[in-house]
Amino acid sequence: MPTGFPTWHRFAGWPMTERLERLVGQHLQEGSATPVPVRVEEVLVHHETLKTFVMEAPFSIAPGQFVMLWLPGVEEKPFSPSLATQNWRSRPGRIELTVRAVGAFTHALMGVKPGQLLGLRGPFGRGFSLEPFSLLVGGGMGIAPLRYLAEALDSSGLPFHALLGARTGRDLLFTDWFSRRSASLFTDDGSAGTAGLVTQSLDAELSSGLFRNVCACGPEPMLLAVMKICETRSVPYQLGFERYMKCGIGICGQCCMDGSGIRLCKEGPVLTAHELAGITELGLPHRDASGARPARPGV
Amino acid sequence: MRALHVDPRLQVSVAGVTLSNPTVLASGILGMSASSAGFAARLGAGAVTFKSCGLDARKGHPGPAIVPFEHGLLNAVGLSNPGAEAMAAEIAEFRSRFKVPVFASIFGKTVEEFGRVAAIVAQANPHLIEVNVSCPNVESELGTPFGLDPGLTGEITRLVKLSAPGIPISIKLSPQAHGIGRLARACQDAGADAITAINTVGPGMIIDPVIRRPVLSNRVGGVSGGAILPVAVRCVYEIAAQVSIPIIGTGGVSRAEHALQLILAGATAVGIGTGLSEGGDDVFTDVCKGLSEYLDANGFSNLAQIRGVAHD
Repeated sequence: MPTGFPTWHRFAGWPMTERLERLVGQHLQEGSATPVPVRVEEVLVHHETLKTFVMEAPFSIAPGQFVMLWLPGVEEKPFSPSLATQNWRSRPGRIELTVRAVGAFTHALMGVKPGQLLGLRGPFGRGFSLEPFSLLVGGGMGIAPLRYLAEALDSSGLPFHALLGARTGRDLLFTDWFSRRSASLFTDDGSAGTAGLVTQSLDAELSSGLFRNVCACGPEPMLLAVMKICETRSVPYQLGFERYMKCGIGICGQCCMDGSGIRLCKEGPVLTAHELAGITELGLPHRDASGARPARPGV
Repeated sequence: MRALHVDPRLQVSVAGVTLSNPTVLASGILGMSASSAGFAARLGAGAVTFKSCGLDARKGHPGPAIVPFEHGLLNAVGLSNPGAEAMAAEIAEFRSRFKVPVFASIFGKTVEEFGRVAAIVAQANPHLIEVNVSCPNVESELGTPFGLDPGLTGEITRLVKLSAPGIPISIKLSPQAHGIGRLARACQDAGADAITAINTVGPGMIIDPVIRRPVLSNRVGGVSGGAILPVAVRCVYEIAAQVSIPIIGTGGVSRAEHALQLILAGATAVGIGTGLSEGGDDVFTDVCKGLSEYLDANGFSNLAQIRGVAHD
């Protein structure tokens, strides 16, 4: 699908300086591997343990790439933004990180208020490539980066459909936004959308032949199910993975995947069939901060 | 990734271990597992050193644990490792999958523990055991590094040698050591087969002026990268004047010119760690290529002809 018209059309309403910057490619892409201080501008409360933090973006970041978010005095952890806008010289961008409280760090984040200073470093890794007729498959917190991907596809005029699933309707992210585009919803308990797994209709969706690419992010069993169905239907796929990360710049070795040893922070976190073929640890319990791989539960 | 650079003139021998080229993946970079070390081997390292392991699994310090600055990196990873048993299994797996020589790296919380850890990793039959007596960023927990005391360092050297019979050992020294040449001599006298110099410098600190806090969660960490190359060159130069055993010169290498300085100072092999970040994934290949060009341009037929000549 030609993308020239929608892109040029968007220039019309923008300030002159930004149009000029875009024409000469002057948006600030260079990131920082050292934390850059950013002030939290807004905190969107989805519910008490699920929040989106809106900050000024110190750099531009693509969908599926990630940042390390530092809460001074606590720790830092990787997050893939649920939205970001380009960082222009004349107008800094915005970045949104959607966080669910699951551990000590994310629980501490729930107490962060607008005006507070955090540190951000990035952008790290390789994100999703924007393809026409993409089918997005998101599970749980994996919906967050897909929201940014969907926004990017949308503003490039590339058609997509999203299959989104979570445990309950309460945990289903950005449903209003997605529903105004094109999305099917699933929950484990049936409290929103169709009851059942997000992958249950994937095969049927792909059998239509409409979709030329699948982008998925979510729990690893979901990703492996998506991979299998896509292989069967011969549809290319891009899967966003998660591992314990430390440096973000490809040197500490914490996120190296067993097999080929590729670094999820650099060659990932979005992987395609070619990269996944060399990995032997898919579906195994993840290595922890010490580098040890816990035994499977019950083994 | 470009094709690997092959040049038989770059072959070196460290304590009886033959390396196809003098670059060695330094301990602490990749080397967490067989596959991550294998990743470095595929990038062209002449040998790979695994991350230091102790008796028990350690999660290390919370992040931020590794932050770059203009001239290098500051790190306080905090000796995260899965424990000697698990590391030995990774080393054994590496040996079965890759041909590149593999060096284990060990640390201990006590002198005795060095011996126990050495005995465990020796079962995986690494080509060499590097003894990390000089980690600068666990001082608040483990106290002053043993490697600053020649008596203790000699004792650890003898104990590791006894605990890992038949495996060459290299003692990794700290640039903070007073009289590093004499310290290296003490290691040689105690039976060390090689010296690795240097560990990170410092500790140092980076403070964010806006957040007004040290950036590392551990507050302080070891300095590596370009900033420490002159310190490494000086240390290797001093050590080479005192010992006859080979030196694995490490610190600040990301280009062939850096490696050359260490070799001219007396190093047999050259460790590359932070250089993977500063020089990129091609750093091992680029350094080797540069060394070949230097040999060509100056009419030398091997690296031994230039080793330590800065002393003359």
